[in-house]
Amino acid sequence: MGLGFTVGVIGVLILGHAAYSTIQYRSLLKIMEEEFSGPPLDVVLELLVGLLCCMWAALTVPGKFLSVHPHSDENRVVSLPENVDFMIFNHRGRAFSSEIDLKLKH
Amino acid sequence: MAVGHGDSSSSDKKSTDALSDLQTFNAENLQSNMKVIYYSRTFLSIIGGVIAGILGFKGLIGFVFYFLVMAVTSAALTAKAKFSIHSYFDTWNRVLLDGFFGGLMSFVLFWTFAYDIVHIF
Repeated sequence: MGLGFTVGVIGVLILGHAAYSTIQYRSLLKIMEEEFSGPPLDVVLELLVGLLCCMWAALTVPGKFLSVHPHSDENRVVSLPENVDFMIFNHRGRAFSSEIDLKLKH
Repeated sequence: MAVGHGDSSSSDKKSTDALSDLQTFNAENLQSNMKVIYYSRTFLSIIGGVIAGILGFKGLIGFVFYFLVMAVTSAALTAKAKFSIHSYFDTWNRVLLDGFFGGLMSFVLFWTFAYDIVHIF
């Protein structure tokens, strides 16, 4: 998360620098009295690098996708109750369990 | 007794299978996935607007650029979902269309903003 955020900030800074270079290029064109047809190639490359950085940040920073299937492995509850040490199954109630099952069946 | 318990658990399993056949979704996780998509799309439409402004696009070319950026974003989100959309979303439209017009508004805002700063002032 921290890494993605840093990359995003770097990307935004690269875009800012590209904008500043374009402003300088335009003032140069104004001095040379030429028409603006598009930013120079290095600015275009800079914009591309900035876009890639920001895209990487946009895909990593907001978080991971979570599975929506209720029975997938990620959504299973695997924690046990905390009093599991105090649970006893080997007691006299075991003798009645078959009768309880009979009752439930009827 | 053991047989009876085994029977009951297998019938439980059958009922849960029937539930998953009915397409139940974990709504909380679906909401969180939608929020992730919304954040990605909004941020990238802002960045795309700034880039379109710096490049000096005018008119229709800017909107074509927006469609391109959004197509790349959709492809990247699909890759982020490991190409199995249906384990993270209910329909394809969640990835392809949600947040498209809201993003267009912020795109136009930042497009004109960056264009004004770089090319007019």
